[in-house]
Parts: sequence; C-alpha cells; structure tokens
Amino acid sequence: MDYTFQFGQIWPRLPYLLGGAWLSLQIAFLAFCGGILIGTFCAAVKTFGGGITRRIVNVYVVFFINTPQLVQIYFLYFALPDYGIFLTSYMAVLLGMTLNAGAYLTEIQRAGFESRRQSEMEAAEVLGFTRLQQIRYVILPHVAKVLFPPLSNHYILMTLGTSMAAIFGVEELTGRALNVNAETFRSLEVFSIIAVVYVVVTLFASVVLALFGRFAFRAKMRIV
Amino acid sequence: MGDLFREIWQMATYYNLLFLAQGAVTTIALSAFGCILGGLFGTLLAVARLTDGAMTWPLRMLALIFTEFFRRVPFLVTLFLCFFAFQFAGLDVSTLTVGCVTVVLIGTAFLAEIVRAGLQSVHPNQWHAATTMNFSLLQTIRYVILPQAWTVILPPAFGFFILFIKDSALASQIGVVELTYVGKTFSNKGFSAAASFGVILVIYFMLSYPLSRFGAKLEKKLAPSRTR
Repeated sequence: MDYTFQFGQIWPRLPYLLGGAWLSLQIAFLAFCGGILIGTFCAAVKTFGGGITRRIVNVYVVFFINTPQLVQIYFLYFALPDYGIFLTSYMAVLLGMTLNAGAYLTEIQRAGFESRRQSEMEAAEVLGFTRLQQIRYVILPHVAKVLFPPLSNHYILMTLGTSMAAIFGVEELTGRALNVNAETFRSLEVFSIIAVVYVVVTLFASVVLALFGRFAFRAKMRIV
Repeated sequence: MGDLFREIWQMATYYNLLFLAQGAVTTIALSAFGCILGGLFGTLLAVARLTDGAMTWPLRMLALIFTEFFRRVPFLVTLFLCFFAFQFAGLDVSTLTVGCVTVVLIGTAFLAEIVRAGLQSVHPNQWHAATTMNFSLLQTIRYVILPQAWTVILPPAFGFFILFIKDSALASQIGVVELTYVGKTFSNKGFSAAASFGVILVIYFMLSYPLSRFGAKLEKKLAPSRTR
C-alpha cells in the first residue's frame, strides 16, 4: 500500500474532462426530455386509454423496466444493424436511454395522474371553470407538486446513467476519463477526479431542482 | 424471424445452457450479496447519522459524506475506482471480488438512505417517549423504532435489490462472468447479436419480473399495518 498520488499530469487535461461532463449533461437532458414526452403519452394512455392500447403500453413499460439499460443499448447498437438500421454510438445510447426513461417516467407519472381527486374536478366545474381552466388551475398545480420530486430524482439518476455511454465509445465524462487514463496511466487519479466531478454536477443539479421545486410548486424537497 | 429462432435453438447446447445458468446465478448472488452486507452496513450508517451529541459529530459527518458520495458517483466509475485501487494496493484478487466490493459500497450508501427514511418515519413522540423511559439510542432503535419501521423499510429495500440485479450488468465491463458477460461471449462465439443479447434480455426479464411482482405484493401486504 505505498501508492503516491500524482495529479500533475491530470490538471492540464481537466478542461478536456469537463468538456466530457458537458456532453454527459447534454445526453441526460435530451434523454430526459424524450422520456418525458413518451412517459406523458404512455401514462395518459394507461390512465384514460382503452383495452388494447393500454396493453401495448403495459408490455413496453414492463419490458423496459425489468431489463438492464446496458443490455438494451447493446441490443440497439449491435443487433439492429443486422436488420439494416445503423445507429451511431451516440444515437444508440441516446435512443436506449430515452426508451428506458420513457418506461420509468410512465410509471412515475401514472402515479401522479392517479393522485388527482374527482371531487376537486367537480368543485372546479361547479365554480364554472372550463375544461382548459380546470387543467391549468386545478390539476396541473396539484399534479406538479406530487410529480416534481420523483421526476427530479430520476433526472439525477439518469445523469449518473450516462456513464454507460463510455462503453459504446461516446466520449463523455467517463469516456474521456478512459482516454486520459490510456494516455497517462494515472488511473486512480483520473477516476477519483471524475468521481468528484460527478458528485459536484449532481449536487448542483439537486440544489437547483430543489430550489425551483420549492418556489414553483411548493414541493417539499430535501437536498442531502 | 425464423432464422433467429433457429439460431437460438442452435445456441441451446448443454454447455451454453450451463454457462447461462452460471451467469444468472452470479448476477443474483452479486446483488444479493450487495444488498445483505449493504443492508447491515447501511443500518450502521443510518444509526450513526441519527446520533446526537458533540462527541459523535465526526461520525455523523463521515456517514453523510459516505452516503452522498457513493449515491452520486455512477456505478461504472465506482467499479473502475475499486478495480484500480485493488491493483495499486498490490492485492491479487479476482474480478468477482472487485465486483462484490463495489456492490457492497454502493448498496451500503443507498440502503443507508432507505433505512434512515424508515427510522425517521416513526413518529417523533415515540423517540421522545423512549428517551423519557431512559432507553439508550441503540435500545430505542432495537425495541421501539425497528419493530415499527421495518414495514416501511422492507418494500423499498426489496425494490433496490431488483434494481441492483439490472445495475450489476455493468460488472461485465471489468470481466465479472455474469449474465451480460455471457451474452457478450455468445456474440463473440459467432451467434448474431440479436440472438445472444435477445436471450440475455429475456433471462433478465424472467429474473426481474417475478421478483417485482412479489415486491408489489409485499408492499400491498405491509401497507395497512404501517404505524404513523
């Protein structure tokens, strides 16, 4: 156990690593936005839809929730070319993460949709609210308050999940760390630095999301 | 589609099936090991964070830093950190050991949060009552809090176990022979990626789906007995 940490070679490469962090955030954000679109649609189908569409959505959600994201992306990246669909590694990771997020966000949002109460809607109707006003003033504030904490939690988990992209050769934070490792052989140093970068990035995101949730929706959120 | 099934049929030789079963057992064992040891250490950390007193603040701080750090570092990065740390420490251990250590570290951090949330879900009056009766912190947790909190702790802990089965797929990256690694091996042997990874996806599903159904049932069964 006589290892000396030598960060000397790593510091000049820090901007390169931080550029990778930016790409990580970008992947997480894009996949989350795609996931929200899929999730909202599927949750609406699951709550209000008819028999057959509901069953299709159910199969999608159950399958994607019960299999690992890594193997899903493996499948997209290595198996689809056999059927004439060629994805770049970036696209495969993005698509895999989006589909996976869509399934999880469907489950989260369905719980939110079901938390609305019939009596609230009826009260709004009695007060002469139109359908749009009901959604805007009654359902949305209520659902947003319930949904915001688990959604932001999932966003943080997805930011961590982007490290998977390194396996497919996308040069985000972990991928660039592997590159720097290959150039300098200071593996422990590189990985401890990017671990700290991940902690800082997700802590920052948590603080921003918690403050936003508190002011916008009065959602009670803890940071630590 | 017919080709795919024919290929999967070819894949189903005795040794391939044995290899698959081995991979599945390693996957389950890895996450079970992480959850059991992680649950033990996590409980210790959760209790450490609940102590109050000027003397124990380093303990609280340490527990806080440990949980926050390992919850906010990706599985893959923790895996590489452990991998290289073992290497530079000069310990000649198998990759499975590295995987186990990683899984325990991460399991400890996540389960500490779950246990802490469970302990805090018990009404403060119960804590105060126990203090009044001159119970020490450990006695309070052992005789008053845990009997009420375990129904709150168990469902999310079980959910975490199922999540871990899927997350441990990343352990294949350092060469732990678990289910995903088996899929990669099949692919390297010359089976098409659709067949090899398709089979792996289905096996993960067969492991995870019954467990998640059981978890949902568990949650429903324990819910009414929750004491607030």
